[in-house]
Amino acid sequence: MNMFLQQLVTGISIGSVYALLAVGYALVFSVFNFSNFGFGPVMMLGAFAAFYAIPALNLPLFPSILLAMVVAGIASFIMELTVYRPMRQKKTLKLYLMIAGLGINTFVPNAAIQIFGGGVHAFPSDWARVTIQMGGVAVPRSDILAAVLSILMLAGLWMFLYNTRMGLGIRASSFDTNTASLMGINVNFVAMIVFLLSGAAAGLAGCFYGMKYSVFPSMGAIANKGFVAATIGGLGSLTGAVISGLLLGFLETMIAGYVSSTYRDLIAYAMLVIVLIFMPNGILGKGMHDKI
Amino acid sequence: MGYIEGITISTCINIVCVCGLVILTGYTGLFSMGHACFMCLGAYASAILTKYYSVPFLIALLAGGGVAALLSLVIGIPTLRGKMSADCFAIATLGFGEAVRIIMSNISHPYFGGARGMSGIMPYTTLPWAVGLALVSIVLTINYARSQHGRIALAIRDHQDASELIGVNIFHEKIKSLMYSAFFCGVGGGMMAHYYTYMVPNVFNATVSNNLLTSVVLGGVSSVTGPSLGTAILTFTPEVLRFLSNWRLAIYGLVLVIIMRVRPEGLLGYKEIYQPLVRLIKKAVGKMKGSRASGSKEG
Repeated sequence: MNMFLQQLVTGISIGSVYALLAVGYALVFSVFNFSNFGFGPVMMLGAFAAFYAIPALNLPLFPSILLAMVVAGIASFIMELTVYRPMRQKKTLKLYLMIAGLGINTFVPNAAIQIFGGGVHAFPSDWARVTIQMGGVAVPRSDILAAVLSILMLAGLWMFLYNTRMGLGIRASSFDTNTASLMGINVNFVAMIVFLLSGAAAGLAGCFYGMKYSVFPSMGAIANKGFVAATIGGLGSLTGAVISGLLLGFLETMIAGYVSSTYRDLIAYAMLVIVLIFMPNGILGKGMHDKI
Repeated sequence: MGYIEGITISTCINIVCVCGLVILTGYTGLFSMGHACFMCLGAYASAILTKYYSVPFLIALLAGGGVAALLSLVIGIPTLRGKMSADCFAIATLGFGEAVRIIMSNISHPYFGGARGMSGIMPYTTLPWAVGLALVSIVLTINYARSQHGRIALAIRDHQDASELIGVNIFHEKIKSLMYSAFFCGVGGGMMAHYYTYMVPNVFNATVSNNLLTSVVLGGVSSVTGPSLGTAILTFTPEVLRFLSNWRLAIYGLVLVIIMRVRPEGLLGYKEIYQPLVRLIKKAVGKMKGSRASGSKEG
């Protein structure tokens, strides 16, 4: 029973990382209908910002997490400003946006290996490493922090999307971007907000992943699992993204703990194929309809 | 000589793979992040056939391609049905690539060798074979692209709904493109195995898939000779620019972004490399005919 609880805690904390990443993908997809493949590097940049800021500026943990979110948000916005926005305005095929995203995904980590070095670093926070005993289960503080802050972030996002005028604008754009722009919604401003928010989510996820494992230039590869979670949940669905992110984290740790850790990385993809066979639109996805 | 020969053979191997990918990405507009896994499947299938069953090289290569094409259905059927987004296909190919690599590394059967890979494969891929196969695949792919299938693929890429309205079975056409591309990647993988004479599953990682995609995008999305040229550029340039070798992958990524941003149709765009040549010849022939005609009038 203790082992099960221990696995559950790990599953929830890694699941919340996946959920944050999946929400970032879903936000961008819901408005612009393409998947931002350059999302992994954003997460990596956020984690590195915190990694360098903590010893250099003597920042405590929370401001440094905030800094990571800001840096990642800005990185994500720069990406949209320099690459995606001009391409969107030229009305290029979605395929080209995805290839450009993949290009970012190749360029940034490899450039980061040359600049930051390819080494694997521990996240420089002693506070997060302390474990708390809870009824026979050792829970690292970082896991609690990951769960709590993820829930706060997601709840904040929810409030923002459903209780503010700007959120209404974003939801209108995600329903139909062209009509929304005709109704006087500034799509470029919505794009800025969406990319800043998804970048901030990635930065947060990067910090937690760094605390749980380590900080290294190719850590953005984990964002693929977030993308898998977003697809399983239904592309563009925020609730689906959260649910499937948590589910994915849970299943992964359970199977790694009880069956075999060799095939741990396959679970995400196996789950993807199974879900797509039976539910082609994902768990909570909107039905795809033709737009001519 | 051996050095130049080696680079040429690698270029030819890449050209064979790119010929398949150009139909999938350039013509049909589907975007794959894991085509290296089809190379891996083809490589293992053909290497096992030649090493343990003494099958002739060409037949083994074709069989390797066939295995890759058949297994591509595993991702094709769930992700290309109906109105599913191309994103699903992209992430599924990535997953399939990882899956193939992990499974190949963990098979304990002596033929496969697990993570240690296979060694002692016959060195059948010589320069004439490589160049010949590359030329054959370029010709086949140009013909495929100019046939009904290639034109339907272009229609799907540009207007999926419209092409469905005029009666194109989108699912069948997409599966056809996927199998075509997987077949050529399988053959290319087989050539690679018989050139290096040993292989481990980790050779066929995401970087290889990215490089294939970069060649297609660099060369031109709706052209066959363009991506072949792109492959040649991408294989030869790192050899010349050795001092930049650490930055190679970063530059590849930057090339992708810049091309998509500035000239998304790639270097050659919708043209084939021989088209200006053909036009020149036609012009010259026309001039000769014209001058002969006017000459005969005068005479």
